[in-house]
Amino acid sequence: MTKIPQPGAATLVVVILSTVLLLLLCQKMIWLVLPLLLALLLYYSLRPVVDALVVRGWRRETAAMTVCFFQTMVAVGIVVLLFLFLSKAGSQGSFSRHVAGGQNLLRKTVGALEGSAPVFKRLNMGARLDDQHVREFGDDFVKKNLLPVILQLLEWLPSLLLVPYITYFMLTDSSRLKKYIIQSVPNAFFERVLLLFSHLDTSLQSYFQGLLLLTVLEGSCLAMGLALVGIPHAIFLGLAAALLAWVPYLGSIVGCLMVVLVAATDFPDKPGVAYACLGLFLAVRLLDDFVFMPMTVGRQLHVHPLLSVLMLFMGATVAGATGLVFALPLYGVIAVIGETVAQIVTDPRLRARYKAARQLAATAERF
Amino acid sequence: MRFFNADADDQKVEVLRNIPIFHELTRNEMLEVDELLYERIYEKDEVVFQEGDAGHGVFIVVSGRLRVDPGHESLKKVLLDVSPGESVGELALFDEGPRSATVVAMERTVTVALFQAEFATLLMKNKNIGIKVLLAIARILSRRARQLLQREKHIPSL
Repeated sequence: MTKIPQPGAATLVVVILSTVLLLLLCQKMIWLVLPLLLALLLYYSLRPVVDALVVRGWRRETAAMTVCFFQTMVAVGIVVLLFLFLSKAGSQGSFSRHVAGGQNLLRKTVGALEGSAPVFKRLNMGARLDDQHVREFGDDFVKKNLLPVILQLLEWLPSLLLVPYITYFMLTDSSRLKKYIIQSVPNAFFERVLLLFSHLDTSLQSYFQGLLLLTVLEGSCLAMGLALVGIPHAIFLGLAAALLAWVPYLGSIVGCLMVVLVAATDFPDKPGVAYACLGLFLAVRLLDDFVFMPMTVGRQLHVHPLLSVLMLFMGATVAGATGLVFALPLYGVIAVIGETVAQIVTDPRLRARYKAARQLAATAERF
Repeated sequence: MRFFNADADDQKVEVLRNIPIFHELTRNEMLEVDELLYERIYEKDEVVFQEGDAGHGVFIVVSGRLRVDPGHESLKKVLLDVSPGESVGELALFDEGPRSATVVAMERTVTVALFQAEFATLLMKNKNIGIKVLLAIARILSRRARQLLQREKHIPSL
C-alpha cells in the first residue's frame, strides 16, 4: 500500500495561522457564525431522529420539517421561561442587590478569617469592603458592561431566527450539498477528499453530540446539587451555568459566581449555603475534567493539551470571548482539512494522475 | 422544497435499476441510496485507481468500459473488462486494504461510486437496504471466487 505522507511542522503552522485568521473573521461576522454554529449543533443532534423517521417511511423533507417544528417550539418555550424568570428576578431586585449579597458574604468570610488567623487581620481587608464602593462598582458594571452585552444580545436575536431555517436545510440538503461540492473535485483527488469529508463529519458529529451530552450531564449534576442545597430555581441556574461552561475557563468562573451571588443574597444569614455551592461547583468541575469531558468532547478533538491551551490564549487575544468559544472546534476542523490537503499536495502519484487526467481531458476536447 | 433539481428521480431510479447491486431495492430505497452515490466521468485512458492505493469504495460502471490491470497473474483470469452494470473495487467497502489492480477507462466512462463511510452509515441507518446491497455484493464476490477456483485446475471447484 502506498504510504501516506504525514503532515509536518509547516502544516501545523499553516493550520494555526488559518485558525487565527478565521477566528478574526468569526468575530467580525458573529451575527452569522452564532446561528450557523447553533444550527450545526442542532443538525448533528437531530439528524439521528430524522434518519430514524426516514427509515420508518417518512419523506426526508417531512421528517426534517416536523423535527425542526418541535425543536423551534422547545426553543420558544425556553426563551419564554427565561424571560419570565428574568422579569421576576428583575422585579425582586437588581444586579447591585446580588453584588451587595456577595459583598455581605465576603465580609463575613473575611471577618471569620481575621478572627481565626492574625495574618489576615494585619491585611485589614474588611475595612476596604465598604458599601459605597460596592454600590458604585455594581452601578458602573451594569452601565459599562451588562447593558452593552444585553443590547448586543438583542441585536443578535433576529439572526437567531435563522437557526431553525438553516437546520432544516442542513437536514434535507446536506448530502446534496456535499455531492455538489465533490463534483468540483478532480478525479485524482476524489477518494481522498471524500475521506476528508467523512472524517470531518464524524469529528463534528462526535464533538457536537459530545458537547450536548456534556451540557446535559453537567447541568443535571449542578441542578440536583443546587436543589439539595436548597437554592431556588436550581434547574434554571444549573442549566445556565452548564451553558456558560461552553466558554472555556471564563464561563465556569462566571457560572459559579452567578450561583454563589444568588445563594449569598437569598441566604444572607447562612454563608454555609454559598460555600456549599462553591464546593458543588468545584466537585462538578473535577467530575467534568476527569470523567465527563474525556468520555464526551475531549476524546474527539485529539488536540495536545499544550496546543489546546495555546490555541485558547491565541483565540482570546485575537477574538475575545468569541475566540475562547470557537478556538478549539475551529482548530480541530482546520487541522483535519490541513492534514488532508498536505497529504494530497505531497503525494506524487496523485499529482501525476491529476496532470495526466488534465492532458487527457484537453485531448478529448480537441477531438 | 429543495435547493437542487428533484425532477430527475425517475431517471436516477432507471439508472440504478440496471445495476445488479441495486436490483433488489424498491424505488424509495433506490432514491435513498442515490443520495450516497457519487457520479464520476473518466476520459479514455484515465486512471480510476492504481494498484497499491488505499481503497475507500466501489466503482460501478453506468456507461462506457473500464480495463482492469491486476498485478497478480491469477486475477487476470477473473476480471479484465468492466462493462455497464458491473462493479470494481468491492473489497474496499469492507477494509482499507490496498487496491489489488489498476483500473483505467477504455473509453469515456461514467461511473457511480459508493464509499465505505457512506456504506457503513447505510448499514447502521437502514438495515433493510444495507442487507440487500450487502447480499448483492457478496454474490458478486462469491461468483468471482468460484471463477478463480474453477480456472485454477489444481484447485477443486467448491
